[in-house]
Amino acid sequence: MGYISEKDKEYLKGEFDKYLKEKVKLLVFTGDNCQYCNVAVDIAKEVQDLHDAIEFEEHSINDELAKEWGLEHVPTVVITDGDKYGGRIRYVGLPSGYEFSSMIEDIIDVSRRTADVSDEVRAQLDMIDKPVKIQVFVTPTCPYCPKAVRTAHRFAILNPNITGEMVEAVEFPEWANKWNVMSVPHILINEDVQFIGAYPDEQYIKYVVEAYKKL
Amino acid sequence: MELGFVLPSASRESKEVDLAIIGAGPAGLSAGIYAIRAGLSAIIIDKGNAGGLAEDAPFVENYLGFEGIKGEELAKKFKDHARNYVEISERNEVKDIIPEGEKYLIKAESGEYIARAIIFSTGTTHKHLGIPGEKELFGKGVSYCVTCDGYFYKGKKVAVIGGGNSGAIAAIYLKDIGVEPEIFEFMPKYMCEKAYQKMIEDRGIPYHKNVRVTEITGDEKVTGIKYEDRETGEIHEFAADGVFIYVGLVPMSELAKKIGVETNKWGYINVDQKMRTNVPRVYAAGDVTGTAGQIIIAAGQGAVAALSAYEDLMLS
Ligand SMILES: Cc1cc2nc3c(=O)[nH]c(=O)nc-3n(C[C@H](O)[C@H](O)[C@H](O)COP(=O)(O)OP(=O)(O)OC[C@H]3O[C@@H](n4cnc5c(N)ncnc54)[C@H](O)[C@@H]3O)c2cc1C
Repeated sequence: MGYISEKDKEYLKGEFDKYLKEKVKLLVFTGDNCQYCNVAVDIAKEVQDLHDAIEFEEHSINDELAKEWGLEHVPTVVITDGDKYGGRIRYVGLPSGYEFSSMIEDIIDVSRRTADVSDEVRAQLDMIDKPVKIQVFVTPTCPYCPKAVRTAHRFAILNPNITGEMVEAVEFPEWANKWNVMSVPHILINEDVQFIGAYPDEQYIKYVVEAYKKL
Repeated sequence: MELGFVLPSASRESKEVDLAIIGAGPAGLSAGIYAIRAGLSAIIIDKGNAGGLAEDAPFVENYLGFEGIKGEELAKKFKDHARNYVEISERNEVKDIIPEGEKYLIKAESGEYIARAIIFSTGTTHKHLGIPGEKELFGKGVSYCVTCDGYFYKGKKVAVIGGGNSGAIAAIYLKDIGVEPEIFEFMPKYMCEKAYQKMIEDRGIPYHKNVRVTEITGDEKVTGIKYEDRETGEIHEFAADGVFIYVGLVPMSELAKKIGVETNKWGYINVDQKMRTNVPRVYAAGDVTGTAGQIIIAAGQGAVAALSAYEDLMLS
């Protein structure tokens, strides 16, 4: 018996067969004093077993790769092609509950090596030529949060300067507190521009551009 | 630890169908099952997750066959069931609908769909109170979703504004996760079901009746509320770290209106017993029709709407 039910696995297999193209790496960074690291590893392994294109790797949060990508917290889950996406599409804390659906959609997009946005949003994304980090604070029981997480991740897939990071506020209360997170999704861009809510792309990108212009 | 695994449903291909169902709450999901079983081709499109507002319901005790189930789980069951039959496209907002002869062109965020018939199962969104502090302090202690944000107030005092069923359930949920809620209700009596009243009393949750909340106070963060005792006219203050607002719903009927669908003065879509609107081959079901605001009713209306669509498209 694993974490994901047999029925859900069957469904996911079908989706992966339909949509997965290129290889996808599912990296889980683990370390000491980590309540959910084992769970994150087990879930990632279960997902890996669903399709040949998915490769799981466990890493230490103290290894070179973690340093290169600036990862500090455990567990951190990174979805990547191992190349151009680097460590820019990530989850700090367990991607369970509603965020499990975000992770599955990320795997599909990373495998397709692209994400969907309108031409108008794409044009604004293409302007961004300096590093922008979008952090999305969530709780696993928030139905509106995956939309905000996925937007950050879709933007990160489409622009190499953007990093999209989900932060699970229940697992990291001090971190959430530091930014006065009291409603989720709470989006923090470059530790500066903030907004709350699952906005459509057109509004979301405005905040991203605002943070970028301050650089 | 209990872990939920919500699965995405990411259909993005544009296509032509008999029936487009807009909104994948209980009404839309039920309509989808009935439509496909009857023999129509259909797609369900939702701007958020399939499951709709049922996902916000902390605990459902009045859906037949389930003595008590988390809204999140019930919504997942609905979705898993519907997905066996019908394609669901999530996180894909319908932006515009254009009549083209006998058909409709439905323009969504990703994808365009052509349909011979439409069911609006777009539900509602929460109503704002419109009092000072509400907008300014949103996200700084003011919230509309207990399952999302309740966690941040463990061990703290919060005000729940609105003592109808939703507010009552919200307060019960908060109490059960270790928050200290008090309920503020405008009317001079309990406005929720007796079953919830009993749960509120059993848990010792204060239920203030006949009060009008006039202001949410605080600068950087919520510090409390001011409310008027409607009998005496006296203004009182209540110190709190959070305020959850459950004061009613607003129907999401703008798209329907755009294609000529009639609503009542509150914006709820007018339907007949078969869930037909005034526009041929356009139906509405669930909370957007303004009936009881219950999952079982939404699901039932969804079924009726789909069968009417079948009748109109296939039998006449
Ligand atoms: C706190 C709380 C507790 C509750 N508890 C209970 C309970 O215990 N028992 C009970 O029976 N009911 C309960 N309810 C009520 C129940 O959730 C609703 O009655 C039910 O969800 C209505 O279903 P629906 O399908 O009509 O609409 P909704 O569930 O509101 O679904 C409508 C869907 O339409 C989508 N939509 C809207 N516009 C568009 C668009 N333009 N494009 C694409 N998609 C769109 C929305 O994203 C949404 O998913 C509760 C509600 C709340 C808030």
